[in-house]
Amino acid sequence: MCPMEEDELIQGTKQGDLDCFNRLVERYQREVYNLCLRMLGNAPAAEDATQDAFLSAFRGIGKFRGGSFRAWLFRIAANACRDQLRLLRRRPATSLDSLPLELEFEQRAPSPEDHALRQELGEEIKRALAGLPPDQRLAVILRDIEGLDYEEIAQATASSLGTVKSRLSRGRARLRDHLGQYRELFL
Amino acid sequence: MQGMLSPYIDGRLSPLEREKIESHIEGCEACRWELESLEATVNLLQRVAMASPPRSFALAEVAPKRRPAAFGTLRVATAVAVLVLAFLFLGDALHLFEGGLIGERLAQQVTPMPGEVLDMGGAPPEGEGYAWPLRQLELALLGVVVVLGGATAILWQRRRRGGEKALKG
Repeated sequence: MCPMEEDELIQGTKQGDLDCFNRLVERYQREVYNLCLRMLGNAPAAEDATQDAFLSAFRGIGKFRGGSFRAWLFRIAANACRDQLRLLRRRPATSLDSLPLELEFEQRAPSPEDHALRQELGEEIKRALAGLPPDQRLAVILRDIEGLDYEEIAQATASSLGTVKSRLSRGRARLRDHLGQYRELFL
Repeated sequence: MQGMLSPYIDGRLSPLEREKIESHIEGCEACRWELESLEATVNLLQRVAMASPPRSFALAEVAPKRRPAAFGTLRVATAVAVLVLAFLFLGDALHLFEGGLIGERLAQQVTPMPGEVLDMGGAPPEGEGYAWPLRQLELALLGVVVVLGGATAILWQRRRRGGEKALKG
């Protein structure tokens, strides 16, 4: 049987125990997949990036030297996304994603009209994210969608706190400007 | 001021900076709008629903496959090498290659390339005057069998130990 504590699972993985690693995969696959999905805006590419990330994490677990495991994993996932972005750029026809971006509101779609508007807003958020420079997009996704704190984002992006702060600031302002026409929906 | 609003939303400013922003915003319509619209954007992003992964990304099926594949190939290679070696030994012991059909055919096949035969053999064959370096072949094959067999045995041992570890988990 595998232990349940994250530290012990990491130790087990370092000794080559795949079962321990797969416990970590179960724990983080949702977050990693969503990071890739929002970074790439393409479901099949996100699937590939997620699998690549976990494979790289298993092979490189010896290089993990403490700190936030989640941030370490996200850093590997961000690198996997960078590789996938390069591939997508070479095949631009495949970069369209049919998977809708859904929003969670307290009231569940009061009217069909509102429902349609929310769907439209979801598509617009996807477009706005895609329009951000990758560094700003990554910072915004990690902070506002995945809920990491500044220190974890700094670790996941190998940058300073000051850089995190300015990327977030510029990224959010740019998103706001892009979404301006839908202001009545969320302001 | 604008660069401070985003960290303000995240509560990443010192109390002094916070106070500065709050007192400024009271009198500045533009900055108030800036803050409110940024807050609304952040709230909206926080509502983005997490998508369910389409499948499990566990590595169970990927990683263990590699070793058995290498193990299987090595095992087959060792078996083939052993069979060839046994055939050569048997033929040698029964003097099958010295005369008769096999010997003549082998001699015919080999004689067109005497240079190569000499190169392969290095020193002239010590044997009973074969047209091809049987001894060297046998020795080389023996070496191949030892190396392949050794590698197979090591892999087999590791696999067994790995299996025991997995069971103990």
